[in-house]
Amino acid sequence: MDSRRADRIATTVFWAVGLITLGILLFIILEIFGRGLITALSPSFFAGKPEAREAGGGIWPMIASSVYLAVLTMLISLPIAVGAAIYLAEFSREGRLNRFIRFCLDSLSTLPSIVFGIFGMTIFVIKFRWSYCLLAGACTLALLTLPILLRSTEESLRQVPLTYREASMSLGASRWTTVRKVVMPTAMPGIISGTILPVGRIMGEAAAIIYTTGLFVRTIPKSPFDPAAPLAGYIWYAQTEAMVPDYRRIVNGGAAMLLILVFLINFAARRLAKYYSKRKSLGG
Amino acid sequence: MARERYIKVLLFACASLSFLAILLIFLFIFRESLPAITKGGFPNLFLSATWDPDKGRYGMLAFLNGTILTTLGGLVLGAPLGIGTAIFLDQVAPRRMGNIIRRGVELLAGIPSVVIGWFGLTILVPFIARVTNSAGYGIGAASVVLAVMVLPTITTLSAETLRSLPPELKEASVSMGATRWQTIRGVLLPAGREGILVAVILGMGRAIGETMAVQMVVGNSRQLTFSLTRGTGTLTSRIVTDMGEATGVFRSALFAQALVLLILAMLLIISIRLITRQKER
Repeated sequence: MDSRRADRIATTVFWAVGLITLGILLFIILEIFGRGLITALSPSFFAGKPEAREAGGGIWPMIASSVYLAVLTMLISLPIAVGAAIYLAEFSREGRLNRFIRFCLDSLSTLPSIVFGIFGMTIFVIKFRWSYCLLAGACTLALLTLPILLRSTEESLRQVPLTYREASMSLGASRWTTVRKVVMPTAMPGIISGTILPVGRIMGEAAAIIYTTGLFVRTIPKSPFDPAAPLAGYIWYAQTEAMVPDYRRIVNGGAAMLLILVFLINFAARRLAKYYSKRKSLGG
Repeated sequence: MARERYIKVLLFACASLSFLAILLIFLFIFRESLPAITKGGFPNLFLSATWDPDKGRYGMLAFLNGTILTTLGGLVLGAPLGIGTAIFLDQVAPRRMGNIIRRGVELLAGIPSVVIGWFGLTILVPFIARVTNSAGYGIGAASVVLAVMVLPTITTLSAETLRSLPPELKEASVSMGATRWQTIRGVLLPAGREGILVAVILGMGRAIGETMAVQMVVGNSRQLTFSLTRGTGTLTSRIVTDMGEATGVFRSALFAQALVLLILAMLLIISIRLITRQKER
């Protein structure tokens, strides 16, 4: 076979592969919205209370649980991630110790989320006697999001030009003052936009929370020690346990609602990143 | 200056939490799985395919088999598609088409696993059931679901690898009169081999650990099977299904499965380290 023809065939194949990938995505999204969008957008569903045994339940406490869980997880995870990132980027030299910390972070980020889930259950739910609650889920997810947050924060810190630091230190500022007054303010936009994608991950996470936060509530959790039922976990629960006659409707609507939430978060992350990079290029 | 040192210690404490977390997770999972290892009989725990908690038999072989086969199935379907899409993005796609697919792959990566599981259960399983005249659940359905989930990981990381290759490589090849396909096959793929391998290994990690989506379509039976359309289980799916009501040795045997998952994940990370270190030399 001559090389021109082989090239033409290869080009066709690559086009086909690219289009198949796109097709898979479109197919999944259209199926989900096609079956669940009308339910998801009806007020009695997304703003209604769930039912334990009868038909007609909504998912409002589940949406609230997901949002609270994401906020609480970030409150725990972000300070630690920022502190660790500052240490790695500003206070340490690349050496054996840093490589080891990075190895631990990589391992942490490949652990299956169910392993985090049953670890969180043993420690927070059972050992600390917190029972199923928001805080137990948030602590578990904080461990899960730590490597992601740390990496994005460290990247933002490393994008601050070295000359900024040199200028500050040449004026006699200490390393910590330099970090606090010069590096952090410059890196802040990047750090903030780096927190949004992990929020999407938290919203979609089910395996790590079904044995830590709980699976079913009828009211919105009022304190971190109240049981909660994040939407992703509830979809799974409604699907596999099927305690209500109209579980199909709930699962279809819930999946569509979850997808809307995650897409909105991803969209916000993109817009924010673009907004900040535009401002930076204007010298602001 | 004393304050400076105090702050440095505090920051180091934050950084060392990553080490502490992995150590604690390992220790606790190990401790919880000890009763199963000592009482359940060490080799049987891993080598027996009889999982019958009522009779006190805890062999995880059927689930280990399920994890391995579904992961391989997911990679066989997902890896060529992912690597192919990455090459398409880097070499073939016109700018606009490339941007659309890039956005699409990003969205696909963000779809939660319960939603992919929902898709598998509502559309894929009934489809397989109709075509093969079976219940539809099993390794086949799980493999397809996993292929969808490893696709964005493999595509993104492979595309990153290809993009980071020096442009001179391609230019040199093209200026020698090579066609695009010859350049891809003869220059770009060999040069990006390590990075693409790492992408596939990370995809493998995602497939091994995937829980909810697999649990929803794999059928959750306890039998050891190589059939694509008969219900079976994986390590993750068994843990999720049984953890709610398990106590004693039963519960411990589930932690032993988590221990296996943990060790598999560590092995993957170590193999990635070895590959990248070899490349640096």
